[in-house]
Amino acid sequence: MMNERERLEVLKDILFTDDRDYADKITDRIVQLEQILHDRNKLSGKVDPIVSAQLEAFTKSIPDTLGPVITATLKEEIKHHKDEVVDALYPVLGKMIKKYIAQEMKVLSEKIDEQFSFVKSAKRKIRSIFGNEKEEELLLSELSMAKIEQVFLIERESGILKGGYSKTATIDEELISGMLTAIKSFVEDAFNKGGQSLELIEYELYQIHIQSFVTHYVAVVISGNYLTRSKNKVQDLIFNFYNKYMAMNLDLVMDLGQGRGEDGEPVTRSDIEKELSKYFGNAKI
Amino acid sequence: MQKSKKVLLLGHFGVGKTSLIRRFVSDSFSDAYKVTIGVHITKKVVELPSGTSLSMILWDLEGTDELHLIRNAYLMGTHGVIFVFDVTRPATFQNIQRDLDIIQEKVKKVPVLVVGNKMDLVDPADVKRLLEENDIQSDYMTSAKTGDAVNEAFLEMATQLDI
Repeated sequence: MMNERERLEVLKDILFTDDRDYADKITDRIVQLEQILHDRNKLSGKVDPIVSAQLEAFTKSIPDTLGPVITATLKEEIKHHKDEVVDALYPVLGKMIKKYIAQEMKVLSEKIDEQFSFVKSAKRKIRSIFGNEKEEELLLSELSMAKIEQVFLIERESGILKGGYSKTATIDEELISGMLTAIKSFVEDAFNKGGQSLELIEYELYQIHIQSFVTHYVAVVISGNYLTRSKNKVQDLIFNFYNKYMAMNLDLVMDLGQGRGEDGEPVTRSDIEKELSKYFGNAKI
Repeated sequence: MQKSKKVLLLGHFGVGKTSLIRRFVSDSFSDAYKVTIGVHITKKVVELPSGTSLSMILWDLEGTDELHLIRNAYLMGTHGVIFVFDVTRPATFQNIQRDLDIIQEKVKKVPVLVVGNKMDLVDPADVKRLLEENDIQSDYMTSAKTGDAVNEAFLEMATQLDI
């Protein structure tokens, strides 16, 4: 004999057959969805086309949506940081102009050498006859190669040393960079002719080649016979190094902008000195 | 990481700027060339309580009674200024406010310390009265001869530069 609860269940079976089928279908569908969710490949197959479509639409819309903002921001940045822009472009433009002029000068120099090489030889012979030196020694001294002894990257206004490279131990590099800056400032201030910069200091056997940029300058101490062709090579090295230095600063700015980098400190001195050593260490001029 | 900062010593002729630096920096170059280009540079690395190592590049400018005549090129890129006057010569501090205004105009927004030197030659009470009468605020009263307060003045500048 069925009790009241069992009778109610029988009655529900009879009356709600369709609803029960529908509930079973929903249950099956949920199981299938759970399987898709837990299976990476299956989920990927369903979601990837949607994400790809969204990404494609976003990429296509960038020129219209973000383009004007980026352009306006760049214009504003360039307007307010002209010095930095010039500093970034200077090595590139300077190098191009310099190379062209150097090439032309080289051609001219070779032509002159061809014309006057016999004069040089005769001069050497005369010096060896009337002096104490042998002709071979004179020839050797003429051929003595220029060598890079030291390089400094110095902040132009303050004279603070950003990094140095030296083949031999010398007196304090920070003091040298300070004094170089003082001498440079003195000369440029005293003989100011339309923003020209001091470019060369001669000191007995040494020559200090100075290349000024907007915010920094590079000083290269050279021993030996410093000819024009050596000067061109040194200038190339300086421009290449400075280009790299600007790129390092730019990388740092990008890193900071994207939340990377540590505390906003500039490119470290040891990083700069590694680059100086790389560019000038074994350079043949 | 070691930081480097450019510190200028300014003041009238003969107030003891070079002596103060000599007292603070034990070894220094010959300053014979100061008469040639008007500047002498020395360096001292100081360790600060914060743990920072600060390299103070000290620019000792030739003394002049007319500060506005100092070459601007030497002032550029300066991180801090120590203005020195001689407590025995009122002429070196009577117009101190004008001198400080000139400095502030030439090197903007950098810490400036005012130092009265040669305290070994005077009675401190007399100097105090004299400065009060002339409404002069001095950050440090030093003696390059005895070394009194010299390190303190330079270290205060280093601390301000470390902030």
